[in-house]
Amino acid sequence: MNIVVCCKAVPGLVTDLKIGTDGKAIQYQGQLLAINECDEYALEEALALKRSGGGQITAISMGNIKALDILYYALAKGADKAVRVDCESQDPRVASTVIAAALRKLDFDLVLTGTQSRDTLGGQVGIAAANLLGIPFAYAVVDVEARENHTVKVRKELGGGRYAEVELMLPALLCVQTGIQPLTFVPPARRIRARQQPVASFSLADLGLQSEQLTPRGYRFVGVRAPERAHQVELLHGSPQEIAAALLTKIQESL
Amino acid sequence: MSRDILVLVELADGKIESMTFQLLAIGRQLAAEMKVELVAAAIGHQLENVVEALQGHGTDRILVVDDPALTLTAGEVQAHVFAEVARQIEPRLVLVGYSLIGMELTPAIASKLGMNAFTNCVNVELRDGAVTVTRPLFDSTMHAQIALEESATAVVALQKGSAPATARSAKKAVVESITMDVKSIPSRSRVLEITEEPKGDVDLAKAEIIVAVGRGIGDKEKIHFTAELADALGATLACSRPVVDVGWLPRERQVGASGKSVAPKVYVACGISGAIQHLTGMRDSKRIIAINKDPNAPIFQVAHIGVVGDLFEIVPALTKAAQEAQTR
Repeated sequence: MNIVVCCKAVPGLVTDLKIGTDGKAIQYQGQLLAINECDEYALEEALALKRSGGGQITAISMGNIKALDILYYALAKGADKAVRVDCESQDPRVASTVIAAALRKLDFDLVLTGTQSRDTLGGQVGIAAANLLGIPFAYAVVDVEARENHTVKVRKELGGGRYAEVELMLPALLCVQTGIQPLTFVPPARRIRARQQPVASFSLADLGLQSEQLTPRGYRFVGVRAPERAHQVELLHGSPQEIAAALLTKIQESL
Repeated sequence: MSRDILVLVELADGKIESMTFQLLAIGRQLAAEMKVELVAAAIGHQLENVVEALQGHGTDRILVVDDPALTLTAGEVQAHVFAEVARQIEPRLVLVGYSLIGMELTPAIASKLGMNAFTNCVNVELRDGAVTVTRPLFDSTMHAQIALEESATAVVALQKGSAPATARSAKKAVVESITMDVKSIPSRSRVLEITEEPKGDVDLAKAEIIVAVGRGIGDKEKIHFTAELADALGATLACSRPVVDVGWLPRERQVGASGKSVAPKVYVACGISGAIQHLTGMRDSKRIIAINKDPNAPIFQVAHIGVVGDLFEIVPALTKAAQEAQTR
């Protein structure tokens, strides 16, 4: 089974957030990019499926040259190929159009990705791309079983401890939940070696996309700020013993 | 275009999810301000009770697609049916619950309708005449406000807890049945069965005090600090998802969107940053105490009492204080 894993390069701590001049994106100063944790679980699931059933894994990421780092990381973890799509956009509609166009260029039976990215917290691109490709999809998948008749049987969360068992004909796209497989450690030596491997690059021209498909429309950012609190939190100060005594009183009077 | 507000009804086991009533409350206020109709759409089979329960929540119309083929339905087909319903009324806004089911449907519906979708929203309101949504960014440490252009339509997926359910309305909604050839909708997936997490020994829903541990504990060997606190307080030990993902505690102790929803008298969150998936499951707790070393952790957005500090100092001190209080 050939699997494509969509992974996003996300920043760590960000500062100096402001709205871009066109009102369509948030600009910020960010630390080094890392693979989005949810997507790393998708990669682990791809590796597990490959171990049991063979096939090839392609890691794909949309972003600027800095996204290369996470593709090398995916190669070090065991992906066979890596593709970077040279496009930066925070707009889910643009991103899903670009990812769908890139997937059309790749040979796959299954697309795996996470449930959301930690930066934009949108969780839209996977399912929207599946819809554009006309392939079946499932969200919040916690178990994948490859079957012989070119289908997969998956278990997905419905919330509140309920699950659905779903059969999907391949090709299909799955957004997997964290914890679907344990995260594995990659030795530094292997990470260094992986940087020798080639990473293919798709430009937007390669994907045949027109600029109007790549323009966010219909909205603009008007504010970015620290969240309003549901109510003001009462912060306790003092030594651990003083705090403990105060907390115990608060707990007792709540019962 | 009608420019109405369409609320998509979420059902679990044939019953309306509480989230749907919050959507109706928000939709009702917006519809009044925008002088448009509030429309609810329910799809499924044998929906008589659902339609009855939707009455009295301020809707002008209730659209129903009731078909045996919608009994156990894959996401593909549900998205197709909801999108068809939306096409018939051409709404300005489609409101959906930001739930696991909502997040499977929202991107597909928006993509089919060529609409923008805004997910994970904490608010949607009219602000300076523009429909404006508020949603988190960067691990929920920041909120962005996004204004829709005058002509723009959108699907908005709202977090649970975004609005309280409001008083009942005397308005009687018109119920319209929409017939659709559901069986012939192209589908390459099917739901085989719905299952429930087997009931374990832990009943989080009944606990009066919950001590919950998050990724901040850092190590399986340190879970005992929080377990001892739970013992000393007569509390039940719970956790957030990452703790289960790495195997430090079993799934039956998980609080959050995919685990249990709880509302104890006291909820002590130790080293829990407060991802929305966790907050969804515990924000209704009567008194929330958060202990976290990061003052910007989103858990402090819902906490009543906060301690910014090292949980390995605070938790043992609290355990000791509780033990001493017991013996006195």
